[in-house]
Amino acid sequence: MNNAARPQSGFDLPRLSFGAILGIVILLGGLITLPYILANRFYLRLATEILIYGLAAMSLDVLLGYTGLLSFMHVAYMGIAAYTVGLFLKFVDPAASLWVVFLLGVFATVTIALPIGWVQVRTGGFAFALLTVAFGMMLYTVVWKARDITGGDDGLIGISSPQVSLGLFSLGTTRDPHTVYYFTLVVVAICFLLTRRLMISPFGAVLESIRENEERASFIGIHVHRYKLFGWMIACTLCGISGALFTLVKCSVSPTVMDPAAGGALLMMTLLGGIGTLWGPFIGAAVFIFAQDYISTMTEHWMIFLGLVLVLLVLFMPKGIAGFRERFSLGRKT
Amino acid sequence: MPSDVTFWVQTLINCLGLGGLLLLIAIGLNIIYGINRVINLAHGALYALGAYFGYMLVERGLPFLAALLIAPLLVVAAGLILERLTIAPIRKRPMLYTLILTYGLSVFLEGMAKYIWGVQPRFIATPPYLSQTIHLAGIPYPFYRFFLLMVTAVVMLGLMFLLNRTKLGMTMRAASQIPEMVSVLGINMNLVQIIVFGLGCALAGIGGVIAGPLLTVYPMMGSEMLLSCFVVLVIGGLGSLRGAAIAAMLVGFVQTLGYIFITDYAMVVVYVMMAIILSLMPRGILGEGKFE
Repeated sequence: MNNAARPQSGFDLPRLSFGAILGIVILLGGLITLPYILANRFYLRLATEILIYGLAAMSLDVLLGYTGLLSFMHVAYMGIAAYTVGLFLKFVDPAASLWVVFLLGVFATVTIALPIGWVQVRTGGFAFALLTVAFGMMLYTVVWKARDITGGDDGLIGISSPQVSLGLFSLGTTRDPHTVYYFTLVVVAICFLLTRRLMISPFGAVLESIRENEERASFIGIHVHRYKLFGWMIACTLCGISGALFTLVKCSVSPTVMDPAAGGALLMMTLLGGIGTLWGPFIGAAVFIFAQDYISTMTEHWMIFLGLVLVLLVLFMPKGIAGFRERFSLGRKT
Repeated sequence: MPSDVTFWVQTLINCLGLGGLLLLIAIGLNIIYGINRVINLAHGALYALGAYFGYMLVERGLPFLAALLIAPLLVVAAGLILERLTIAPIRKRPMLYTLILTYGLSVFLEGMAKYIWGVQPRFIATPPYLSQTIHLAGIPYPFYRFFLLMVTAVVMLGLMFLLNRTKLGMTMRAASQIPEMVSVLGINMNLVQIIVFGLGCALAGIGGVIAGPLLTVYPMMGSEMLLSCFVVLVIGGLGSLRGAAIAAMLVGFVQTLGYIFITDYAMVVVYVMMAIILSLMPRGILGEGKFE
């Protein structure tokens, strides 16, 4: 799709126009000063949530927009990390270090995603999408039914908040909205930059070639199964990171993180923002979370809107909000 | 306390019943995929719609058998409207979009079902001659389960007759192989696709009405059925009718036995079985699957 003029380096600052640099500076400045702009703590929580879901939606974009694989239950891998962090902090060591639980959560996601991915990448297209549903439902069922460990429907509540610290330097616990916002912002920004670097590297080009034509990719010597598995693992790792952040921010976790409706919601954020852009899903997440916050206070029948918007998006706006940038950008060489 | 033999005979018939029901729904999905090249994720929602239509008709005082005929027709009407409005316009786009679109449709329909009929389960009342208990070799058995098996068998025989013995069936089989060639021969492929989609909806509708009295009618029934049907399609090989028949029975047995012996984790066993079969036989148990 937008693989024209592929830059040589990931950090291609000199190639950016003045306007783009200005935009990035304003965006960064806005994100950093946000806790002081938003007086209301509720909105700061919402902003943190947007960053977390934006990261999850971006991870789905790696799978959907770059590798061309569809996962309906990507939230399951968010749930694994969220529950691992929650269970460890609640039952094993409430005073555990933030980095230890963080790594444990991501490690658990990777461990579970690897064998599942190994089975899934042997198929493509439809079968892959159907399998993500089946395995996602399997993970969801296990979490939901293992009442003795996960608390079933009620989930885990009252999870302790570890210190956000790096060496001698400490910011405070994750219970403080400011601390947790900055922590999330830094983690999400690092993930975004690394993923972007990876996606515009030759590796990203290989993934895109699989998306465009699997058969031809294999003819030129690309090991399609292996690269699909790489794409899958990157997507699941990023989703695991967002899941770990989720528990640390909320101090609680329930099966609704990984239920089928959440899976659809994540897909909608990604589509709404625009696939194949990496930044689009963050905008999608922002619009979605604000809309959900607004609509769900009006009606409990939120699913009708979710389904209807998905249908309308596919029919009339397949490139999402990011598509507007292409349509309305003047004088940009594309 | 029922004796062991009674329990096992009843379980066997339950397994067959679920297998037959799965086959009805999965075959519909399968022929729509085979000819229209669309995986209709709203198929489960159409099955649920069939059950709700059946419930409404019986509630209005229609005999159950009449509902069994009329409700599927209503499902066909609803399905075709959705197909013409949403699925047909994006036929030329990559398949990912159809998947997302039909997924959106299923979420929408499920939400509507919750909105109109609420989350509490509904019951389709069956006439006395269907709800009696019959004795076979001294083993008591609810007659409705036999009725379900009979309906499934009749529908499947009818479908086989249609596919193997009629001009339309021949066209459909040809279209599943090379649609362009069928089109070149002067057959209106668009019409064939509409008929096939309608046929799939009718099968889902019949499945919904006969499942209603047995499994009760609730909004989530569609997505639950759809998940089991995925397993059937993946195990049997997408697009393979014989594979689907074998896989439906296999899943019917594993799922029913799973619910009896391990209850909560029954579906986990079904998914694990699917994963094992898929990793050993990526094209389904008969190797006939057409994955794209």
